[in-house]
Amino acid sequence: MTTTVAVATAVPAHEARPAVLARPTFLGILRGEWIKLLSLRSTWWTLAATVLLMTGVSLAVAASLDTVAADPATGPGLAALTGAEVVSGGFQLGMLTIAVLGALLMTGEFSTGMIRSTLAAVPTRTPVLAAKAIAVAAVTAAVVALGTAVSYTVTMPLLAPHGMVPALDELRTWQVFGGTLYFLVAAALFSLGVGTLLRSSAGAITVALTVLLLLPSFLVFVTLDWVETAVEYLPLPASGAFLGGGEDSLSAVGDGLTPATGLLVVAAYAVVPLVAGAAALRRRDA
Amino acid sequence: MIEAHGLTKRYGDKTAVDDITFTIAPGSGTGFLGPNGAGKSTTMRMIMGLDRPTSGTVTVNGKPYAQHRAPLSEVGALLDAKAVHTGRSARSHLRTMAATHNVPASRVDEVIEMTGLATVAGKRVGGFSLGMGQRLGIASAMLGDPRTLILDEPVNGLDPEGVQWVRRLVRSLADEGRTVFLSSHLMSEMAQTADQLLVIGRGRIIAAGRVQEVIDSVSGAAVRVRTPRAAELAELVRGDDVVVTSPEPGTLEVRGIDAARVGDIACGSGIALHELSPRSASLEEAYMSLTQDAVEYRSTTTSPAAPKGANR
Repeated sequence: MTTTVAVATAVPAHEARPAVLARPTFLGILRGEWIKLLSLRSTWWTLAATVLLMTGVSLAVAASLDTVAADPATGPGLAALTGAEVVSGGFQLGMLTIAVLGALLMTGEFSTGMIRSTLAAVPTRTPVLAAKAIAVAAVTAAVVALGTAVSYTVTMPLLAPHGMVPALDELRTWQVFGGTLYFLVAAALFSLGVGTLLRSSAGAITVALTVLLLLPSFLVFVTLDWVETAVEYLPLPASGAFLGGGEDSLSAVGDGLTPATGLLVVAAYAVVPLVAGAAALRRRDA
Repeated sequence: MIEAHGLTKRYGDKTAVDDITFTIAPGSGTGFLGPNGAGKSTTMRMIMGLDRPTSGTVTVNGKPYAQHRAPLSEVGALLDAKAVHTGRSARSHLRTMAATHNVPASRVDEVIEMTGLATVAGKRVGGFSLGMGQRLGIASAMLGDPRTLILDEPVNGLDPEGVQWVRRLVRSLADEGRTVFLSSHLMSEMAQTADQLLVIGRGRIIAAGRVQEVIDSVSGAAVRVRTPRAAELAELVRGDDVVVTSPEPGTLEVRGIDAARVGDIACGSGIALHELSPRSASLEEAYMSLTQDAVEYRSTTTSPAAPKGANR
């Protein structure tokens, strides 16, 4: 008589049935970056601050219209100011928080060590930066649209007495709103690129804010010809070429450029650091 | 299967990993043992394509890591416990990793369950203890159900229960036919967790093989003999392959022949023995002896004044 003993053969789990059938795709990487962006409290703080700053500034400008109109020194200048510019007036402050958001998106990974997990999952590396750029551009566009809508709504009662409520059927209005959005998306991408190159949060934020805000603010006082020309090619003054800011705004410095040139200059600030950042990300040790 | 050929990494004039060649076989747990700063983490980062080798190559299952179509299913890595954004919850972290490879959410829950993180999965990683960080790192390594696992100091910071858990995990993963490569600076830990050892010191491989082989290769067994006629006996047993030392008067340590032979020789000459005991080197002794050589080697080349045993 033979006895058959049933021996439980241990089947190697992963050979029999992979628990996970997974492949990386760009869409997946994008979704990962999207979750990353939205799962940080700092993102929500930064976005809320952006909306508040944009709204607050436009509200303050709108509230001071009465005083400005009454003052014989500034009254005539008011004619040059459009309602759309008042509504978008907070974009320079919004630029600060958006720049911080863009930089932290990459430098936060380097400072915490997360970058090693990220690059282990996506060893080809470049798609990570591309996905981050898309995610931050999308979230910036959404928050600037929201900030503009809120600003439009809250300033309407103050603009109405001056006949300055932006006409939504006028191309000029949408040029200003669209130009603001374009500029802030570019600012976000610029600081993302700088952050990828520098890796340090403090360094990246310092460089981004210097180029975006400090340089144009200080260099306007230098009257050397070549400096004046150089200033026109800084991002904020260049934005004046298509935003057409008031005479006293920093954007006005860029009147020397055509709107198309202004758009291109601003685009270059977004693209060049990103391309350089991609090269650095691929080449350097994580 | 992990294969390294002439793998070298230099940072400036400091050589972190110095021309190492090794093969890690599948279906076993291989311990990567060495003191802090020996080059373990650097080697692991090079395997994962995070650091670029100065020269040499390293492949995982026949290809450089970055060239695999599904990297997370090929290799899961715990590179350091806190390769995680501190502002994110454990679950969010795992979801971001899972998303890249289109790993289903159910798998995220599975690895959370598997690593015992269920109760803290919603908490931000910044508040995690080292042990919880390790578990999260292991959870991310397991996400893609990889064929190869690379774990850098996985038991670091774990409580005894956690250490046991890692040992069982490594054992069961290896038994499933996977390649498990884990590092530690603790010889005793490796002896209990790994089948094979790869010992690194100052960027060079100084020993490799099965755990017992490595221990034996270092010092070999010694026989301790106590006798009133020590000098006489020493003359009798000493030979080409036999080394006799005298740690203290009346005591000998004999290497090269076993206790029975020493006893026979003593008996043949009528020498009374008060003690005759075989001694195998302990794990720690073997390790110290291995790595001290490496330290010594380095000290004499970089700073001759450094005392023996100085770390750098």
